[in-house]
Amino acid sequence: MNNIIQTKAITKIYSKDGNITVKALQDISLEIEKGEFVAIMGASGSGKSTLMNIIGCLNRPTGGEYFLEGENVNNLSDDDLARIRNSKIGFVFQQFHLLPRTDALENVELPLLYSDRSDISKLAQKALEIVGLADRIHHYPAELSGGQQQRVAIARALVNNPEIILADEPTGNLDSRAGLEVISVFQQLHAEGKTVILVTHAQEIAEHADRIIRIKDGKITGDERVRNPLNAREELQNIPEETEVTQ
Amino acid sequence: MKIFRLTTNAFKGLGKNKMRSFLMMVGIIIGIATLIVILSVTQGANKKIMARINNFGPNAIMVHSGGGKMRGPSSVSEANLTQQDLHDISSIDGVKIVTPFQVKLNMPIKYQSQFTSATVMGVMPDWADAWKRGASKGNFVGTEDVELLKKVCVIGQTVKKELFADINPIGAKLLIGKVKFKVQGILQKRGASPGGSDFDNLIIIPFSTASRRLMNQPKYIAMMRVIVDDPSHLKVISRQIGQVLRHNHHLASQEEDDFRLTSSTQIIKMIKGVSNTLHIFLLLISGLSLIIGGIVIMNIMLISVSERKKEIGLRKAVGARSKEILLQFVLESLVVTLSGGILGFIVGILGVKIMELLTNTPAVVSWEAFVLAFGFSFIVGIVFGVQPARKAARLDPVEALR
Repeated sequence: MNNIIQTKAITKIYSKDGNITVKALQDISLEIEKGEFVAIMGASGSGKSTLMNIIGCLNRPTGGEYFLEGENVNNLSDDDLARIRNSKIGFVFQQFHLLPRTDALENVELPLLYSDRSDISKLAQKALEIVGLADRIHHYPAELSGGQQQRVAIARALVNNPEIILADEPTGNLDSRAGLEVISVFQQLHAEGKTVILVTHAQEIAEHADRIIRIKDGKITGDERVRNPLNAREELQNIPEETEVTQ
Repeated sequence: MKIFRLTTNAFKGLGKNKMRSFLMMVGIIIGIATLIVILSVTQGANKKIMARINNFGPNAIMVHSGGGKMRGPSSVSEANLTQQDLHDISSIDGVKIVTPFQVKLNMPIKYQSQFTSATVMGVMPDWADAWKRGASKGNFVGTEDVELLKKVCVIGQTVKKELFADINPIGAKLLIGKVKFKVQGILQKRGASPGGSDFDNLIIIPFSTASRRLMNQPKYIAMMRVIVDDPSHLKVISRQIGQVLRHNHHLASQEEDDFRLTSSTQIIKMIKGVSNTLHIFLLLISGLSLIIGGIVIMNIMLISVSERKKEIGLRKAVGARSKEILLQFVLESLVVTLSGGILGFIVGILGVKIMELLTNTPAVVSWEAFVLAFGFSFIVGIVFGVQPARKAARLDPVEALR
């Protein structure tokens, strides 16, 4: 088996005010192979973000087991989880989460600060080249458009050369053209062999992936292959250039 | 390598919020600056005390006529020490020199049309050994001068300057009171007397001349200076001198001393008593500023942790361990306090220099002061930085990123 991610009957229960408990995830069992491009789809409050946080080792399940590359994550310490997030996982968030008053290069270098690498700025520069921002390395987030900011964030997710890219509504704050540009970067990474997991509520975004897993009320309600995934780059050619708003 | 990166990061963070960083530093700057001023002034004062003790002589005991509290030298008018006292003290074990001298303060001195006033002392030739101070030019008082009640004098540098300016005074005749004296030497310069007055505004004449011809005190001796063989014997010998004098002066046990004994230990006490209150007050200011500065830093750091929740969450998401977040925030607080400490050190030195110019008090800036400034800044940074840093380190990344 080539499963990079395997969950066995994962549950996540939040307790609020002591008595009231919320079941965010119930009995989630899924397998994701190395190199897949998976979209996790669901409405807000469906538990898709909770699932992504657990897959990304930011959070632990209340019940069930989670294997990452065959390793049972339940048995690991917080520091081990931090090490996994640093080396195996790259996060992309809806709100970009770039550090203000810090230029693109330094933002991309951030994960490397916590690794043992030494050629930090070279690696960061390379990651920015991959996302097509080689000419913007010394721009501050405030000087970049939303799409460019998200691409900086993707470069930051890539810089440690992780196995898995986890993106939580990465196009949620972008117009359609910038959104497609971001998706095209993910498709490119997928083509290069990375495992990409995209969390979204939008069908038209999800259809760029190979596989869609649907979640509702903390349960998996569907898991299907996409027969003909949309190609973001082709779509971009049909949208006029001016749509991108530069801030 | 990692810690180096985190440190440079902390410095960069400081630069990104210049106003906030400066406000955080103010308390530390004031605290450290005050500390430096206190230390420098104290050390300057200590140096002065040591100089005075050296002037006084670390192995000397002064015997004054008349009881009561310690003050300046005893004048001939209150003289009550006898030749018998002198003899008995000289036979105490460990006493190397006992030299009697007569003192009269503020005597009018005249040379041609120039007037001044000076302290006049009638001394024996061994006064020079007892004070390690003789004539820098000409001759000191000799045995023959004392035997023959000669009207000769040795003048101090201040007297020379007042009366003679650039003229060579040796051989000149001046009037002390109404008696004419011939200048036969100039005293070595000494600076401050043990009591703090100008020890160069002094005229030395033979003991016998002073007693019989100038001060009209043929029977009693105003003061004696005793030199002991070793400073550690000061206490014991002082006590013995006290016993001898009480016995010779027929004092009953309930009667107070009619003499005073001073040694270097008492001089230290007297000088230190004055400056201590001020130092305690300044130390209090310094300590309070450092504590308040630390609390300000802690407050701003706590606010900063709340403001930067997203940043902390992100750092954790990309792989920062809790202890690395802790380290980052402690380093940020240390960078603030250490920078504040260095600025405070500079401000303190400037303050010391200004004080030196304004008040003419000597101050000594030492490397100990720098180490202390650095140490205190470090301690404040750790003590008040750890709590906010722990708060940051404990943040749950999922919550923080929401």
